[in-house]
Order: sequence, then structure tokens, then C-alpha cells
Amino acid sequence: MSSNSNLDDGETGLEMSLIVRLNGESFAIPVRHVHEVIHEIPRTRVPNAGGLAPWLINVRGAVVPLVDVRRRLCMPPHDGDDGQIVVLDLPRGNESHRLALLADGVEEVMEIDPARIEALPLRGAPWPAEYVRGSVRRNGDLVLIIETESLFEPDPSSPPLH
Amino acid sequence: MEVNPAIQSYVIEARDLLAQLETMLLDLEVSATPESVDSVFRALHTLKGGGGMFGFPALSAFVHHFEDAFDLVRMGKIAVTRPLLDAALAGRDHIIALLEAGGDPERSDALAKSPEAASILAHLSAAANSSPMPPPPTDRTWHIHFRPAAKAMMHGMRPDLLLDELASLGTVEIHCQAQGLPSLADLDPTQSLLSWDVTLHTTQGRAAVESVFIFAEDAELTIEEVIEPEAEVEEKQAGPTQARSPTAKSPQNSPETVRVPAPKLDAILDQLGELVIAQARLNQIAARFGDSTLDGLVEEFQRLIGGLRDTTLAIRMLPIETVFGKFRRVVRDLSVELGKDVILETEGGETEIDKNVLDRLSEPLVHMIRNSVDHGIESEAERIAAGKPAQGLVRLSACQDAGEILITIEDDGKGLDHERIRQKAIERGILSPDATPTENQLAELIFAPGFSTAEKVSNVSGRGVGMDAVMTTITALRGSVEVMSRKGEGTLISLRLPLTLAIIDGLLVQLGGDIFVMPLIAVDECVEFDLTELRRDSGRTMLAIRDEMVPFVDLADLFNVSTDGVTRRRVVIVRAEGQRMGLVVDDILGQHQTVIKPMSPFHAALSDFAGSTILGDGTVALILDITSLLRGLLNGQTQALAA
Amino acid sequence: MSKTVLSIDDSKAIRDMVAFTLGNAGYRVIEAENGLQGLQKLRSEPVALVIVDLNMPVMNGFEFIKNARSDAKGAGIPILMLTTESRPEAKAEGKALGATGWLNKPFDANMLLTVTRKLAG
Repeated sequence: MSSNSNLDDGETGLEMSLIVRLNGESFAIPVRHVHEVIHEIPRTRVPNAGGLAPWLINVRGAVVPLVDVRRRLCMPPHDGDDGQIVVLDLPRGNESHRLALLADGVEEVMEIDPARIEALPLRGAPWPAEYVRGSVRRNGDLVLIIETESLFEPDPSSPPLH
Repeated sequence: MEVNPAIQSYVIEARDLLAQLETMLLDLEVSATPESVDSVFRALHTLKGGGGMFGFPALSAFVHHFEDAFDLVRMGKIAVTRPLLDAALAGRDHIIALLEAGGDPERSDALAKSPEAASILAHLSAAANSSPMPPPPTDRTWHIHFRPAAKAMMHGMRPDLLLDELASLGTVEIHCQAQGLPSLADLDPTQSLLSWDVTLHTTQGRAAVESVFIFAEDAELTIEEVIEPEAEVEEKQAGPTQARSPTAKSPQNSPETVRVPAPKLDAILDQLGELVIAQARLNQIAARFGDSTLDGLVEEFQRLIGGLRDTTLAIRMLPIETVFGKFRRVVRDLSVELGKDVILETEGGETEIDKNVLDRLSEPLVHMIRNSVDHGIESEAERIAAGKPAQGLVRLSACQDAGEILITIEDDGKGLDHERIRQKAIERGILSPDATPTENQLAELIFAPGFSTAEKVSNVSGRGVGMDAVMTTITALRGSVEVMSRKGEGTLISLRLPLTLAIIDGLLVQLGGDIFVMPLIAVDECVEFDLTELRRDSGRTMLAIRDEMVPFVDLADLFNVSTDGVTRRRVVIVRAEGQRMGLVVDDILGQHQTVIKPMSPFHAALSDFAGSTILGDGTVALILDITSLLRGLLNGQTQALAA
Repeated sequence: MSKTVLSIDDSKAIRDMVAFTLGNAGYRVIEAENGLQGLQKLRSEPVALVIVDLNMPVMNGFEFIKNARSDAKGAGIPILMLTTESRPEAKAEGKALGATGWLNKPFDANMLLTVTRKLAG
């Protein structure tokens, strides 16, 4: 799933991606994982849930965890109720797993050519390589390519109880 | 290659039949009535026939041997013996393997040629041959009087075929009785007016003669054996009997059933859940309008949806009996293996439980029963020395108790050795050496991870894995476990489980800006909370509820909710595993029928919550897992006290 | 000439099974998917035995038996109904309407053949 060029064998190898904005940076999410984009809706706080998935939301009758990946990307956590929610369907084992990503905004859909993905420089890139695979250039700016598999992986350790 | 749907149906039917066969064989061990032998024979016959037709020739050939053996039993030529049943039960397991091979010739062939198969068949033939040799077939004489119903010819009955069939059984003398016929002018040619008297000499028994007339039950029919003075009287129930139909002999007379794949039922339940949620929203909207016509309609919807909910849940309910059969087999095999004489008594098998609960329950139950037989029941010598009957008893019972299922596993064995558990627990670092647990608390340690009290590890109850897995499963099913044991007298394990996992009645409570749901079944009462209790200098966190002191905890602290500006608070007294506790909340909002949605992997580690639900206004609310919450709190409290 | 058996069932699996089993035993099997089609077939050619399922769309087995018995072509023909062991009252109802015999589902090839020989010769 992260090596999306292999999945597109026989095609052009281009991956249609949704570009979302988080703390002033642009991130690309393969469109095939995107279920829908919705506007801010009421959230329910999950006590003691930790920073990765602090809320639950109702997406058309389904309860979906609302994920804030800013902490994983070494950004200050989200505050306030504004923003947009990108509902994702990610494969986990044989099943598809639905979650919602809290973003500041959605920019556009663009084709990303895997051949043009550049590795992040070892220095100067604040994002852990575990979560960001590389970047492509867009009008003199950078679009970061995320590792969907690891970025949306639940924390392995149990969060503290009481 | 496309799978032939007929084959799929056969496999499903065969699985059912094999499950029934196990119960039938175990029944046979208890009492070998002609009916029980007959049901085994018919089950084998159906398996064999279908196997041949639907591409399982190896299965068919294997079952054939058993069918033959039970045909001998049916004819009274050999007796039902322990070795025969041993072979038949092992054979039944082998048939399952053949069925699972799915007609794949290589796998089936390998199975058919396996040493297991050879050993089973060798045992079978030994069992069949060691039983009394078949008496030489004796010629018997039957007198048959037969007068078809008047309309029988109209209904396609052919007396000529029946008489031919009788003749094929032996030698016959047939006399046609034509007395009392009307004159030709008055004769209705479509009516059957004749009767026949037949004397039949045959080696066949009554059943074979009766089966000739299987479709002629409206007829006037007597079948009598003509007993020669010197002939042995074999048939005790000789004398005129009506021809019996096969359905009259059928073991179960349950109403017609329809087979539905479980995912379809799950889908219905999901949709029903959405409907319940939409209904709650409708209620809220209607309340805003205050229109009596709308209210009436909403009420009607509520009633209908309630009915639909009950019916749908009832569809998913299965009698717990469906797994009890498996347990009888477990006990039987174990007693052979361990050389102990143990019987399993079951009670309340008709108790119904949600299929999803049942599916997950069967493994833990097997484990607990194994444990009872292996560790609980003493050896025969020990039992006699202790003045107990040589045969050990394990009793499994189920009943419905106030919205819950209560399942108990009881044995009359040696009971738990509390002192030994204590030592073991200290050795394993589960218990602190200076702790002073009660006997029941000690007993519950057998469910702790990595605990085993067996003096020696047998290959039966495993190596101390299992009982903790039992606890995990039961907790995941929102159930609870209690152990009571008296040394020398036995052990009683009680499981309490919810009737269904899908929908519960909940109590909505407010805490800060959040709403939480408490399962109503865990709620004892709600009382006003005196705010000064929170500010007691002594640090006491006990409430006096009538004459009882109940510990309490402020959920706002637990869940990091600010309660600034709240002037009035309430306590919900909840109960789990026999413990009562007060949970302080801001307000109680009312009851809500709740469809439980499981927690996502992001929150699975949060044991305080059993799941979530969607409220009438569309927002999500978390459902508290009271058992787990109290367990965490009470442990935390004892730790705090010890520190 | 081989005897003709009319098999009426909405399940193709059952019709296939009947056709296969009886076909191998020398019968000629014609098929219908429901009671109404069955009646049309019954009226169109001589039949030695009818094997009819009870639960079918369009026209169920009971209706078929009732209609067949009031039809000159169907009056004396043996009719075997396919019943389920779980509903004994269905058998009685079918018998009252004029069915000759019944076969409990599930059945196997041997049972089907035995019963067919019993009713059709």
C-alpha cells in the first residue's frame, strides 16, 4: 500500500492523490484511500485516549475515530473546532478500516509520479522518516508523501488507564 | 470451477448431521432404544447416500462400514457396546475430516488410507464381531389384512405394486376379498372397494413389512405374526398395529426452519441499530413540534421498531444445547483418557443465548469442564477413600436470570486447595506474601495469567494457559466469573453473561459537556450527592447509602472533565461482580436503548469503555464498561491503601 | 418405453438430483419450476409419477395437488410430495388433498429410487 507504484502495474504509475493542509504544510494521501471529505461536525472526546485519536465522530451512522496526526509529525496539536475532516478507508489485514483525519483544509487532487518522489534530506526535515516517505515539487513548493500504513497505525502500547 | 450449490448444501447438511450424530451416539450409550439406534442408522444412511451423490466417494465408502454395523445393531444381531461406540465416535470425527477434504480426491484418498482410518475400521470390525453372533435368520409368518381407503386409487395408490413388493419379501398367498360390492350399475370405478388378505413367509421382521405400506396409512391395515407353537417369541409387541409413518418416529418435531447465513442476520441487526437511532432522533424532533398526530405516529413507530428489535434478536438466539453435545463428548473422551469414571449432567439446555455470544463461549466452557474433570474430580480410589461415589459428577446448567444468562459448572471433586493456590500465587509473584485474601479471592486467582495448580502437567488441561484466556473471553463478552469452592466437596464456577451483545438499555448521564451511557443492568440506584462529601478533609470516599457504606469516585476526575460551576451533582450506584460503587456525575438524563458499536483499534486498550453508540441528536456517546471500570478502581484503591 | 416422471421444484439443485438419479435408473424425467408449469406439463403428456415440492413460488405444491386431482389427466397418477421432517402437518395436508406419498428432505438417491419404484413401478 505504501509502494503504490507497484499496485498500478500496467498503468502509467501515476497515483491520484488528495493534497491536505496541516500546519502550513501540504501532504499527499492516495485518493483510493479517501472515502469522503466532510466539514467539521460535533466530536465526542474520548477520556484518557491520548493525542493520536482523541475523539469519535458520527459519519453517516458509523462511529469513526477522529485522528490528529500533528503530534506524530512533530507539530503542535490541533486546537479549536475549525478545519476539515477527511474520511479514509485503510486496509488492515483483510479488512478495511475507517478513520477520519483532522486537517486544516483540503487543497486539490493531483497526480503524483512516483519516479519524481525525492527522499527527504537527512537534515532540516522535522518529520520522522517513519511517517513521511519523501516529497515532490509543486510550483516551487513541497508536497510531502506520507506513509499511510505507519502514520495511521494505532499506538502499540496501551494508553495509561486511570 | 464453479461450486455446485447442491454440494454446498450437502456439506452444510452433513455438518449438522454429524453434530447430531455425536449426540445420538452419546445418547445410545445411556440407553439403546430401538428409536435411538434407528436415528443413528438413518443419519449414517443419509450421510452415505449424499456422499455418493455429491462427490464424496471416500466418505461414502467409509460411512458404509458404520452403516453396516448399525444395521446389524438395528436388526438385533449385535449389541451396543462401549468398543462399538468408541469406534463410532472416532469414525464420526474421521467423517468430518473427509467432509472437510471437500471431495478433493488426493486428500480424501490420503485420509482413507491413513493409519487412523485403518485403526478405526479395525476397531469397528472387532466390535461388530465380538458381539453375539447373528442368529440364523428364521422364517417367520405374517398375516396381513389390507383394505385401501376408498379414494386411494384417485390418489395414485397402486395396490398391485404393494402386493408385488410384499411378494418380493418372501413367499406369499394372496386372497382378494370382493364381498359387499355394489351392482355394476351403481359401481363407481374410481373408488377402491376391494380388500386383500396375505400370508407372507419371510425372514424379514415387522419393520420390513410395515415399510411396504408406508404410504398407505389411510388404509385399513393389520399386520400380525403367526406364531408357531415351537417358535421363539422375539417380537414383544406382536399384535395388530397400525402402519407407522416415518415421521411419527422422527426424533424431532420442531417447526419448519429456514437456514440463513449469519452475515445476513448481522446486516439486519446493523440496519435495525440504525433504525433505533433514527427513531430516537424522530422522537426528539416530534417532541419539539408538539403535534398530537405526529406524536401518535411516532408512538406507533416506536412500538413497531420495538417489536422488530425483539423478533430480530430472537432470530439470533440459539438454545445453548447446541454446544452442550460437544461437552458430553469432551467429558466422555477425558474420562477414558484419564481413567476416571465421570458423567456430565446438563440442565437448562433450552436456554437461549445470542449466537455471537454462544460462538465465543464454547471454547472457555470446554476449558472449564476439562479443568473440572482433570483437576477437580479425584481418582476412583481417592473418591472411595473419601466416602464419595466412585463415579464423579460434573454438572453444567444454564438459565436466564434477569436479563442475563447464568451458566454454572459444578463438580463434586476435591475442591480447590486454597493454601496451595496461595503458595503458588506467591511463587509466581501474583500475590504478595503478606496479603490476606479471602478464600473467594484466592479461588479467583486460578484465572490469573500463568497460573496452574496441577501437581503435574497433563496433556489435558494444558500448562496453565487457558483459565486466564477464559477470563479474557468472558470479560470481552461483558460477562463475569465467580468461583466457589469447598475443600473435599467440590467447585462451582458461575458465569454471568448478557443475553445479547448488540443492544442494551442504557442510562444517559451528563458529565461536563459530555454524555456517557451506563448499561442499565449494572445500575442499582441513583441518589443526590452532597457536594460536601467531595471536600471532606479526612479524604474519605465512602457514602452512607441507607445502612451500607459504599465507596464512590468522581467520574469527572477519572475522565479529566471540568465541573466548574456545577452546583448540584448526583451519584449512580452501580454493581459488578458483587461489588457496589458510586459514580459521581453531573446529571442523569434518562434512559436510552443503545446499539453498541465496538471500540476502534485506536481505543481498544481503554478498558473503561465497552463501546460507543449514537444518540438521538446524532452525536456519539461512550458506553461505560462497569465491570472493568470497577475492577480497575477497586484494585487501584487497594493499592492506594497499601501504599 | 421408459416411464416418465415429472419433477416440480423451484430448486434447480433438487431437479438436477432427481433427473440424475432417476435418469440413471431408466426413467425419463421432465421438469417444471412451479406448480403452474407442472400442471401444463401434466396435461401435455402421459406421466407415471409426479414428484412435487411444497414450497414454490407462483403455485405451491398443495395448490398443484388440488388442481391435479380435479383434472382428468391427473386424477389417478401417483404424486410424491417432498416434505420436510420438521413440519408433520404439511404431510397430512398434502395427503388430504390427494398426494400418494411423501419423501422427507433431505433425501438421498437410494431413498428417492426406492420410493419412485414403490409408486411408479
